[in-house]
Amino acid sequence: MHSQTISLFRFLMLGILSKRLLVLVTIMVLGAVLSGSFINELAIINGDAIQTAFVADFLRYSLALLTLLMITTSVAEDYEFRQFERLLTMPLARWQYIAAQTLVIASLCLLLTLPAALLVSLYANVALGLYWATALWLELFLLGVLGLLAILSLEKIPQAVMFSLAIYLLAKLSGLISLMLTESVKLSEGSVSSRVIEFIFGAILYVIPGSETFAENDVFFASHDLIVMLGSQLASVSIYALFLLMVCLIDFYRKEFNL
Amino acid sequence: MLLLPRPLLLGFLVLFACQLFYHHTSRTQMALNYQALDKPLSAPVYRGIAMGSEQLLGYLLAIRLQLHDNQAGQHFRYSLIDYAVLVDWLDLISAVGPLSEYPTLLASRIYGQTSDPDRLRLILDFVERRFDENPQLHWRRLAEASLLAKHKLHDLERALQMAEKIARQPASVKMPQWARDFQFLLLAELNEFESAIAIIQALLQSNAVNDPDEKRFLEEKLSDFQQKLLDNQQPSIN
Repeated sequence: MHSQTISLFRFLMLGILSKRLLVLVTIMVLGAVLSGSFINELAIINGDAIQTAFVADFLRYSLALLTLLMITTSVAEDYEFRQFERLLTMPLARWQYIAAQTLVIASLCLLLTLPAALLVSLYANVALGLYWATALWLELFLLGVLGLLAILSLEKIPQAVMFSLAIYLLAKLSGLISLMLTESVKLSEGSVSSRVIEFIFGAILYVIPGSETFAENDVFFASHDLIVMLGSQLASVSIYALFLLMVCLIDFYRKEFNL
Repeated sequence: MLLLPRPLLLGFLVLFACQLFYHHTSRTQMALNYQALDKPLSAPVYRGIAMGSEQLLGYLLAIRLQLHDNQAGQHFRYSLIDYAVLVDWLDLISAVGPLSEYPTLLASRIYGQTSDPDRLRLILDFVERRFDENPQLHWRRLAEASLLAKHKLHDLERALQMAEKIARQPASVKMPQWARDFQFLLLAELNEFESAIAIIQALLQSNAVNDPDEKRFLEEKLSDFQQKLLDNQQPSIN
């Protein structure tokens, strides 16, 4: 049973690797290095730290988009070429497809975080490079699983990418949105509608990842306990990723295919 | 004297007037092209936009502010900048990235070079505020601000007040002794030799200074100030 999952993982992974992954990553790394150097030239002090933090964040967001596109394209092709129907005629359980996709996401994220680890280690130090690579892997893995859920449910790449990005940005900008809602309650002198919206958003915050789920960029400017930060992120990502995978399984088992 | 032909002289004067007019117009045009600084939003908004990278955003905002005088390939004079808005930006950047020395550095090294006393006072107030919040991070900038107050603003009282602030910091605030020595050097400039001597004597007696060079420097200053005090008192006795 495990060998079947591994074979499926290999097959799916090869599909992803054939999508000019190396070229895209090289372009992103080049973009990060050039824009980082430009910012370093402009900075009067702390140029190296600013450059490292900028490169790290540049790679974070570009790799996040790349991960989403890769995962959604891979699953969308399975829909398009009726791969699911073919797979389900084989002695293969549906959960094995999800397990194989999870392994693909984990391996893809590992491949994508390698240049980030290398660059950050070069610009800062190995400890920060390792921290950033691990934290970024966790962040990208979570986003990849979210992308998997989105494409399994929505079946179309644009909708799935938009949905995943919306959730990702909602989680990242939750502080700003909460602030805006609080201000709106104040400005409307506590009107019921504003309070209801604030309450609804408060409830939504319970089902989207919290700020501790993401890699902490401030480590490049002040010393932090990296192990503690990683521990907290690992716990948060594990719970949320398992929750998402469970939803993926429920959704996938509910799907009907014309066998 | 060789007489110039009138048409040549006239031509020179016309072209000279054209040059003056052109230069004046282009300067006015340049000032018109200048895009003033917009008022910043509140710090929590920028913290929200930062998406967890507050320190980085603070630095990027500081670099953007630093480049504000360069617009569309033109360099604008600092006199065009509204210093009240500028200080709002500096305050905001400090609030977004409180661990950054960048805004105070911009204030003391770049915007503190203005020759307008009112604007300079705004900058000095900003540096002083930042020092009050975090003396360890900003003592260098307050020392620079003290020099600006002395040399650019010619306000020795203000410079002394800043130097006193630095000197009054507890030993837990790590800074070289020269920063604390500013106070008595300025007192000497104000002809307050008695106070300066009292401070140096207190420093020497408290054993707070361990470095032999620093001790020698203080002893030299002590005898120098005592001599000057004596010289000052001499004419009044005579």
